[in-house]
Amino acid sequence: MERLSLTIEEERALLPLYRTRPRYFLFTGVLAALVLWALYVWVSQQLRFGLTVTGMNTPAYWGIYIVNFVFFVGLSAGGIVVASLAHALGVERYRPIGRIAELVAISCIILATMFITIDVGRPDRLYRLFLHGRWQSPLIWDVSIITVYLVLAVAMGYFATRIDIVKCMKAMPGRAQLYKLLAFGYTDVSQKAVQRDRKILKTLAFIAIPSAVMLHSITAWLLGLIKATPGWHTALLAPLFIGSALVSGLALVIVAVALCRYFFQLDVKAEVITSLGKLLTFAIPVLGYLLFAELLTVMYAGEPAPKAFFMEMIKGRYAPVFWFDLVAGLIIPFIILVLPRLARSVPAVTIAAGLVVVGVLAERINLVIPPLMTRSQLPYLQGFYTPTWQELSMVVGGYAVGILAFAILAKVVPLVEVESNT
Amino acid sequence: MPRWGMVIDLDKCTACQACTVACRSENNVTFQGPEGTAKGRAMFWREVLAEVDGEFPKVTAHFLPRPCMHCDNPPCVQVCPVGATYKREDGVVLQHYEQCIGCRYCMVACPYNARFFNWEKPEFPETMAQYQNPNPKVKPRPVGVVEKCTFCFQRIEKGILPACAQTCTGNATFFGDLDDPDSRVSQLAKSPRAFRLLEDLGTNPKVYYLKEG
Repeated sequence: MERLSLTIEEERALLPLYRTRPRYFLFTGVLAALVLWALYVWVSQQLRFGLTVTGMNTPAYWGIYIVNFVFFVGLSAGGIVVASLAHALGVERYRPIGRIAELVAISCIILATMFITIDVGRPDRLYRLFLHGRWQSPLIWDVSIITVYLVLAVAMGYFATRIDIVKCMKAMPGRAQLYKLLAFGYTDVSQKAVQRDRKILKTLAFIAIPSAVMLHSITAWLLGLIKATPGWHTALLAPLFIGSALVSGLALVIVAVALCRYFFQLDVKAEVITSLGKLLTFAIPVLGYLLFAELLTVMYAGEPAPKAFFMEMIKGRYAPVFWFDLVAGLIIPFIILVLPRLARSVPAVTIAAGLVVVGVLAERINLVIPPLMTRSQLPYLQGFYTPTWQELSMVVGGYAVGILAFAILAKVVPLVEVESNT
Repeated sequence: MPRWGMVIDLDKCTACQACTVACRSENNVTFQGPEGTAKGRAMFWREVLAEVDGEFPKVTAHFLPRPCMHCDNPPCVQVCPVGATYKREDGVVLQHYEQCIGCRYCMVACPYNARFFNWEKPEFPETMAQYQNPNPKVKPRPVGVVEKCTFCFQRIEKGILPACAQTCTGNATFFGDLDDPDSRVSQLAKSPRAFRLLEDLGTNPKVYYLKEG
């Protein structure tokens, strides 16, 4: 009987939760297969034989796992920024996509920790980070801020979703137990409780913004404080990370919103996506500027060690990755986003955002790997690194974990806020 | 308390690599074989680095044995998240193999590439296994941890020279207490020919080199 009391808008928001098309099962089935494959590779190869199954070596101490760790830490930024804009700064336009933004942020942070876990040689000893951590190590700063950030993201997600969860509980009595668990048993939807949720959410969002700045700075310092690797050792690295985090994070939110809107017929106006596109238009030149400032400083000074890294990137083995990042990841998306006709089209903005995400992945590859290759300031063998099939399987499996989690959550909580007039 | 240090005279070094071999058998440093070496996994606690300048017929080659520098200000110790690597009071930088989580941050932080990772479980070919050093202090390291030159701590605590210094065919490697003004190493370290690797980085290595003449 309760279900009849839902408005048409509410019905529409909840529809994807109980109407599932066959293509959804096909899609999640493929993802699940990729996840299982990666799990099999992890257990049967990497845990059994050690990191020898990867392509890492001396001096390629870190490889595609750390690339993806850095990449996903960055990607988590956009979700938190958009959600905070909606909740703390009261940008009403972004309220409908706040949910998707939070889910993206949470999945990205979880993926980042997964990539760290598979990268260490002794995952069985990871607990030592918490029990025997040394505060002098930037890695411990990163572990701490990621923990804080994850808790914040989950808490924001919870307080922003709780009312909807209670609504779902009423609309779908069959799943009431699940929703009660998700709401932690807190099912009060009185005006007072709603007001309190809003207030907490606002506080959390205000804490989340400085935490995001710290998260990306610390992840940059993980590399940038290392004087042994001249390609990283620049004070510009932290601002550069904040720049690429904002750019890639916003782009990922655009892609996620556009895809969800298309596949689940969400009630999100095209104008929301194009306005995010506009934000991206402002962020891309900032990133371009930072990259240029760094390049100019290194090239003009011509110090051999950092120059070796840039030459490797511009003309050497990593040139295709660099030029792809510059042209396909920054210039083409920027052109799409500034052409008025294309900037108003959702598919065009989505393609531009997708290119930006892939471009930032390329940037991350070049940020982590070539500096290690050219790090040696002593006569030494030239470094080389090619990821193995085991590594690639686990990276693809990692991506599948994130998308699968998102797809499953899309069936559990409504992806847009159910109109609140209770 | 001594402050152990080493001086390597590059004029006397013949690049025979006896130190590399002696170190390997003393410390049970794993064999990687041609396959592992091709993958870039070769382990040398004390490697002889080579640099070739110019082209035939005007070629010069320079050799530089590279043990761990046992820095007074070790970047590896600074970044270790779990305190698995540490500097002893006598200045020797060591690794707790049972605490290392294998994140390889110390390797990234070491400007001398003096640290090595056990990408796989160390395996000794049968012909080599019989010559393994039975000393439990140097038993082969487990998979997934970082290892490095220890200045042969198991030998110096018994008053014996590190394997590389003892075996050096050209008498090019000196070992001793840098704080003892009468010791050979402290005197050689003051020589006008003395220099240290990448001194600009402020790591204060305790391995000194004497310039080629």
